Amino acid sequence: MGENLENNEWVKGDFPGETGFTTPDNYFAGLTERINARVFTEQMKSTVPANGGYTVPAGYFENLTSAILAKTTNENALPQRKIVRLWHSKLLKYASAACFLLIAGSGLYFNIQQQPVNYADLAAEQMLYDIDEQVIIEHIEANQATQPKSSAADAELENYILNNYSQNDLVTGL
Amino acid sequence: MKQVEDSEILEKFSNEKTRNEAFNLLLSKYQQKIYWHIRRLVIDHDDADDLVQDVFIKVWKNLEKFRSDSQLYTWIYRIATNESITFLNKKKQRNNIPLDEVSGELNETLVASDYFNGDKIQMKLQKAMLTLPEKQRLIFNMKYFDELKYEEISEITGTSVGALKASFHIAVKKIEAFMLNDDINF
Repeated sequence: MGENLENNEWVKGDFPGETGFTTPDNYFAGLTERINARVFTEQMKSTVPANGGYTVPAGYFENLTSAILAKTTNENALPQRKIVRLWHSKLLKYASAACFLLIAGSGLYFNIQQQPVNYADLAAEQMLYDIDEQVIIEHIEANQATQPKSSAADAELENYILNNYSQNDLVTGL
Repeated sequence: MKQVEDSEILEKFSNEKTRNEAFNLLLSKYQQKIYWHIRRLVIDHDDADDLVQDVFIKVWKNLEKFRSDSQLYTWIYRIATNESITFLNKKKQRNNIPLDEVSGELNETLVASDYFNGDKIQMKLQKAMLTLPEKQRLIFNMKYFDELKYEEISEITGTSVGALKASFHIAVKKIEAFMLNDDINF
């Protein structure tokens, strides 16, 4: 049995290259570097404390707990305001809605009834509606044509006439 | 003191009568871990103090909706990580700092901090970490200081285990080079 083991390919290290196991591409190329990096971090851990040198004020964490609880659990501890139901039953709810509609409808109806109607305005509006649009446009244009408007002011016009026409001209012209 | 299991905290939280007790248990189990996780990312104690409170208020508000798809502590870590990264991004925008210069400002905070009593090696390690890009720094912190498993960091950051291993390895190489550089002394 012992002789067999010594001659075994595995024990001699002469085992064939194919063992069935594989590694990722270039695994061994970077393995030394990765082990060294790991050794470095382990060495650092022995010299650098878990908090990395940072400290907090004395009693900080006790106060922190209180500060957080004040904004979370204790905030909820405030007395809850009692919610009073407006309608205790469905019948009351629908009856209230019906009353509201009845009152609002009545108010609107009487309001409309009491408003006086101006029939003269209505008739004028209807008459304008009946006249052809083109007729109205022509009427406005004709009025504008018969009333020429000067751009000059009355005083300027008067000065111009007095300066350029004699009294005789004006008498004969009129 | 024996720490209570997450499943017990969740069970107690689901019952309105024991909800406050559950949250107290959760705080005593996780508040220091989460504080240090945030502190190592944002450096300044006052910033970390604000953020850790924000994180636990969010946990309180959302724990009821927590589904056990992930582990409780990875869920809390995820909230803390997101809050810290959001804070750092806002800080960059507010101070109009380019992405690669934010470490410079954190470096100044570290040197000026009243709450850092590390020796020269510790200071050098922190400064070495501040030379890392944000994601590498985050992964290095979680692996090295918090001693989380890659699978857990993957759950927190949403990055594949392979990518995390590569990032951590690169981070360690950079830190090693920084630490072994005798020209950098304090």
